[in-house]
Amino acid sequence: MSCQPRRHGTVLTVLAYATAIAVSFLCLYPYWWMLVSAFRSTEAILSSPLRPWPETLGLDVLKEIASIGGTPLWRYAMNSVLITTASTVVGIVVTALGAYALVRRPDFWFFRVLRIGFMVTIMYPYMLLVIPVYIVMYKVGLLGTYSGIILFLALGPIQFFLFEQFFRTVPKSVIEAAVIDGADEWQILFRVVMPLALPVVATASIITFLLNWAQWLPVLVVSKSPDTYTLPVALLSLNGELGVNFQGIMAMSVLTTIPVTLFFLVAQRRVIAGMTAGAVKG
Amino acid sequence: MSATVAGQVGGGLLPPQPPPIGVFWLFVLPFAALTAVFGIWPILLSIEVSFTASASALQPSPQWVGLANYAAILADPVFIASLGRTLVYTALAVVSTIALALLYALLLDSALIGRGRTLFKVAIFLPVVTPDIAGYVVWRWLYDQSFGALNVALAAIGLPAFPGLASVDTAIFAVLVAELWHHVGFYVVIFLANLALCDRGIAEAAEIDGADAWQKFWHVVLPQLRPALLVNTVYALIQYLKTFTVVAVMTKGGPNDATNFVSYYAYQLFDQGRYGEATAMASILFAIVIVLALAMMRLQQGRGAR
Repeated sequence: MSCQPRRHGTVLTVLAYATAIAVSFLCLYPYWWMLVSAFRSTEAILSSPLRPWPETLGLDVLKEIASIGGTPLWRYAMNSVLITTASTVVGIVVTALGAYALVRRPDFWFFRVLRIGFMVTIMYPYMLLVIPVYIVMYKVGLLGTYSGIILFLALGPIQFFLFEQFFRTVPKSVIEAAVIDGADEWQILFRVVMPLALPVVATASIITFLLNWAQWLPVLVVSKSPDTYTLPVALLSLNGELGVNFQGIMAMSVLTTIPVTLFFLVAQRRVIAGMTAGAVKG
Repeated sequence: MSATVAGQVGGGLLPPQPPPIGVFWLFVLPFAALTAVFGIWPILLSIEVSFTASASALQPSPQWVGLANYAAILADPVFIASLGRTLVYTALAVVSTIALALLYALLLDSALIGRGRTLFKVAIFLPVVTPDIAGYVVWRWLYDQSFGALNVALAAIGLPAFPGLASVDTAIFAVLVAELWHHVGFYVVIFLANLALCDRGIAEAAEIDGADAWQKFWHVVLPQLRPALLVNTVYALIQYLKTFTVVAVMTKGGPNDATNFVSYYAYQLFDQGRYGEATAMASILFAIVIVLALAMMRLQQGRGAR
């Protein structure tokens, strides 16, 4: 269904496709330019920035960026994988349990206060929150630690809204039947509700992973040294260095982008549907 | 939405007797702890710091200065200019985001696009899940006068050069284009989700009654898109008021403060150790975000009741 009437006509169809193809080209061209530039020497790009494919397909650039700011590239990559995976797992477990409790007892005063507190947190300009978070991290002794970064990245709005929305749709009769069968709250959660929630858990996990992979400011602020930097933060510091290593910057952008891009392309239907649902709810 | 419907649909998990609170404390504990430690506490700390002298802000017994920080930033011409710039940029960005997303969603939703719709949707959504740092780094170099593809392409088709980030007059538009590239796909899919729920029959009936294209858009299509318009406007407002990463990567607030928005200016003051003024700016920006978001939600409720 749609708001719009059906339309026919060759000219209109051609115009519609031409527009959609042009827009898609504008969206995708930066990726292609980045990929091609990562294979081309700085001199080659200066002489012809528009060349649509590289002269050679060498991986020599990896040697140039094997170490950024004195820390090896593999360390940044490992940090990205570790921090993103851990913050996703922790975030999903914590948010699912929290949202579940809030939906089961929405009337309870503390849960109401907590929900408002969470809403206020996600509306606060987060780039200005990270400095007080720095002080908090210092006070609780998590500054410069992986745990500090992972815990700070664990909470996010979209996963919370996805879970809250799902738990609200579980039929009342399902819970009542379990209660009549003598199930306690643990059994209701883990034997009855969670099995139903598996698709939402999958969607929320993928989206959280994509979003946390891209996070950079919390990582930068909680870190004490480049040892806990992730790929985006390493890219930022490479881009800020004096003396432009253009090819290296493009190669680093590719390394930062490609893993999540492939992940998204495989799961695009789930990601788009999930982000739409999470946003419309919020 | 009426109370009975909410009771049946919204409160689906609620048995007749609410379950005892006991074990739910345990379920909620980690979530409450993270919200308190990394949300509420830092926000309160930030508000507290905004009432103290910067030099003593991080000491065990800070020196209270009342509203002095607020008075100082309101007397700071750079802040006032930055606030005005942020509001103008937000208005420009919200309007262009909503307009472009709406037009493109209508195009993809129309019967003119059959095959390839999923591909077009994926293409516009891909930048949304691309790490913003990487996207903005690439755009920064696309605009570059010597490395960039953009000016070479413009010259090739005979158009004048675009100074991009280098000029005071164009930097804000260069930043806007990069932000639109990163964000607009999100708004397109929200409109598409709304369009998928619409009734094509009404538009066809209007067509039979002789309505022209504009009348159909204004009286038939747009009213049905009200939910998505509202969600998108609230999201875009909150998002563009907080514009930060694109500036941190592409311009550092320059040239000559042309892209120095409030969040970036406050961040710079943090860097200089001017904590009191920076947190006062954070409070003001936060107040603007909350007021606008609540106003939009109030607007929605008012319309829903009619």
